[in-house]
Amino acid sequence: MGRTQTVLFRVMVTFAVVMLSAPTLVVLGASVTSGNIIQFPPDGFSLRWYNAIVGEQTLREAFIRSVQVAIICVLVSLPAGTLAGIALARYRIRGEKLIQVYLLLPFTIPLIGSGIGLMLAFGQAGVLGSLWPIGIATATINLPFMIWAVSSSAASLDPDLELAAMSCGAGPVQTFFSVTLPAVTPGVITGSLLMFILSLNEFLVSLLLVDARIVTLPVQIYNSIRSIITPDLAAVSVVFIAVALSAIIVLDRLVGLEVFLKSK
Amino acid sequence: MQHELPHTVQEHASETFGPVPAVSAKAVNMRFGNFYAVKNASFQLEQGRFLTILGPSGSGKTTLLRMIAGFLTPTSGEIFIKGEAVNAVAANKRAIGMVFQKLALFPHMTAAENVAFPLKMRRFDARTIPDRVLQYLKLVRLDGLENRRIHELSGGQQQRVAIARALVFEPDLLLLDEPLAALDRKLREEMQLEFRRIQKELGVTTINVTHDQREALVVSDRIIVMNNAEIQQNAAPIQMYRSPENPFVATFIGVTNVFSGKLVKRVGDTASVLVGEQELSGQSRLGSSNITRFESGAAVKCALRAEQIRIAREGKPLDKTDFSFTGRIADVIFEGERQIYVVDVPGVSADPIRIFHHDQDEFATHHIGELVHVGWNTNDMHVYAGIS
Ligand SMILES: Nc1ncnc2c1ncn2[C@@H]1O[C@H](COP(=O)(O)OP(=O)(O)OP(=O)(O)O)[C@@H](O)[C@H]1O
Ligand SMILES: [Mg+2]
Repeated sequence: MGRTQTVLFRVMVTFAVVMLSAPTLVVLGASVTSGNIIQFPPDGFSLRWYNAIVGEQTLREAFIRSVQVAIICVLVSLPAGTLAGIALARYRIRGEKLIQVYLLLPFTIPLIGSGIGLMLAFGQAGVLGSLWPIGIATATINLPFMIWAVSSSAASLDPDLELAAMSCGAGPVQTFFSVTLPAVTPGVITGSLLMFILSLNEFLVSLLLVDARIVTLPVQIYNSIRSIITPDLAAVSVVFIAVALSAIIVLDRLVGLEVFLKSK
Repeated sequence: MQHELPHTVQEHASETFGPVPAVSAKAVNMRFGNFYAVKNASFQLEQGRFLTILGPSGSGKTTLLRMIAGFLTPTSGEIFIKGEAVNAVAANKRAIGMVFQKLALFPHMTAAENVAFPLKMRRFDARTIPDRVLQYLKLVRLDGLENRRIHELSGGQQQRVAIARALVFEPDLLLLDEPLAALDRKLREEMQLEFRRIQKELGVTTINVTHDQREALVVSDRIIVMNNAEIQQNAAPIQMYRSPENPFVATFIGVTNVFSGKLVKRVGDTASVLVGEQELSGQSRLGSSNITRFESGAAVKCALRAEQIRIAREGKPLDKTDFSFTGRIADVIFEGERQIYVVDVPGVSADPIRIFHHDQDEFATHHIGELVHVGWNTNDMHVYAGIS
């Protein structure tokens, strides 16, 4: 790269980073205000609003519920997405075109559509009012991301590896657990964390599936905004961002595993 | 899957005399659509032998090897291992060790875990596994590196892990699919000798695939040369080198000059041919059958190895050669242990002739543009049937 190009590149990257992180920085700033009104730049500095949310039971409970939903979502999507991802990458299957269309669904079907569909289905089944349907719903909607993560890992797997396991005497099941699965582990970890974050943040579908007793955190925040906007919401948002960020850090650490899992 | 097994085994056994061959292929075809990757391949391999399948890229070597391993089912024909049809046994129950071209070592395991894997899968007594693993790591000279992960080993060391993993459960048959192709020349030659040592030490029947003719000559007891999906010749290395069955084999192994000519007459094992304006004679390799096809005037190809041609300065006649011609040096190539002269001999061949010069005392005595005598003996030139 020439010198001008390098400079131009740096400017562009800086611009992108600023644009992308601006909302986060505004929220972060607003959350440490010492005043009573949400505003940016903040009015003085204090952590009183963080104190406030720790003391606030409804927020705390909503947060715990959101984490529970996210865990259910991961538990559901992990086996389903792993198997589907491997199957998609490794075997010629009928209806591959259809599956590719399915994988694009999260970008094409409006969430409100799938949300209403799920609401009707769970309503029919009479299971609305508990947390697990929300977990399943977020898993259903976001499953393509899990499948993607796994199948991109599986696609780079050397097909000879499975033949090698067989020639070592491993049957199909042993081959799967001792060779195929370890090889796609980076994809499974990436996918799971992605599912966790997506489910934790899921708002629209949760809104349709929760009732007053089991609101999740995003819904709780939304409800509060409708009454009065206080700086504690900014603090909650920061906590939210922190959770997502730590998930990404964990991901980075674990995908450092990839070096371990790859041969060269 | 088990269809007709008893029948085929019996039939096979009744055809064979003496001990059952370790591997035998009968009229094996592999077709992809209308394209034959392997055509009518038949051969037998005795117990404990080292066979190399040699051929240019795309000639069907890997396809043949994968059929022997049972990873591919032939379109027609059958392959037997110790008299048993390969496809009658499930892939993970076969006693075949395989070293893959890209090694296919398990990246999430250490060297020792890789070698232990077949033992665990084949339910060896757990108490004996560590000793056995160590024994085989010693065999491939990797003791001390057993706890390294695969990516912490060099290419040559990974190669050895793959060999140990393929051998540790004492398979009846070891298959090698160009495992040395990716290594640099020095390491490759070292590993070739290593292969031979280990194979001799264990006496395991081995089939090796390569396109490196030197490797084939160095390591094998027998060589099968393939071209265009068909087996060209199946012979011991020396026999393969000394009496190639056709011009393809003659040129694929060694450095060989080929002239086109016309048959003049054939008397016993000697054929007289007209090459350019010269009448030459050579060893007839026209085959003993259908003599009538090879009438006077039939097209032939004459093959002459570079090391069997002598060369001398003009005015210093060649002694002890049946034929001699005058030529002009077109190029001199120095390859270290030998020197190659490329000589234009217009009366014999339109293409220049390549000649090895091994004589230490006369290294580089001829220069480009110099006139020289070149000559050879009747027995050294092989005459084959040629097309057109
Ligand atoms: N699954 C397949 N479908 C179609 N054609 C195939 C298939 N596998 C192999 N072939 C063709 O069969 C021929 C022989 O292939 P093969 O891999 O056996 O060659 P090879 O002798 O091992 O070559 P190389 O030295 O390059 O590895 C090639 O022309 C190849 O394109
Ligand atoms: Mg090949």
